[in-house]
Amino acid sequence: MEEKKEVKPQAIVEIEDFGPLKISGNFLVKDLKRDKEESPTEIRLCICGKSANKPYCDESHKK
Amino acid sequence: MEKNENQFSGGRRYKNEDITVFWKPSACIHASYCYRELLEVFDPSRRPWVDMNGATTEKIIEVVNLCPTEALAWKWNDEAKNESVGTDQLNHIKFRRPELMNANDPEAKEQPVSVKIMADGPIVLKGNFTLSYNGTRKEIRDSMISICRCGVSDHMPFCDGQHRKAGFIG
Repeated sequence: MEEKKEVKPQAIVEIEDFGPLKISGNFLVKDLKRDKEESPTEIRLCICGKSANKPYCDESHKK
Repeated sequence: MEKNENQFSGGRRYKNEDITVFWKPSACIHASYCYRELLEVFDPSRRPWVDMNGATTEKIIEVVNLCPTEALAWKWNDEAKNESVGTDQLNHIKFRRPELMNANDPEAKEQPVSVKIMADGPIVLKGNFTLSYNGTRKEIRDSMISICRCGVSDHMPFCDGQHRKAGFIG
């Protein structure tokens, strides 16, 4: 079998309006301010600026 | 001649006696490492914004290597030294701007997507991934995007650098 040359997406990144930013798949998160690294299979990150639990979404964008 | 010497396709170059720093504005995603770490050299409010006399060569190299894009790259002025530069020198042109060096692009295909949450700044995503936002779907291949995290950008969901003026902390 010949190896496929096409590059496959490693993750799916979805954004709806003010949040959150949803990532799923093969990814590595580095939080430079809090000096933290993690590689979950799914994550929801705040992009509205209002979360009290940054960098994660806490649903504050709905308020 | 001097004007030509400081400009090159897509950007400008700045020299001290040891190194040349290449600046490619179209590649900047406002991750802000440069002026946060070394305002003496990289001051966005000054013209020209790069002052190669503002710090030691070692310090300038260290900070250019922090740039997550090819917006800032560097090389030794002594061409012989450029051949032996190690991979820890992330933003040497050999790795960041191979077209300036006649080198081939190092590949990284099945790498996990890199998601960097910048201090008081955007989320920088790098690698191969599918991006979908507000009904638009894009395939991103071997490249980088920067997502706003402060909510102030005029180009949502992308960062436009306004977090700095907005004083975003997060």
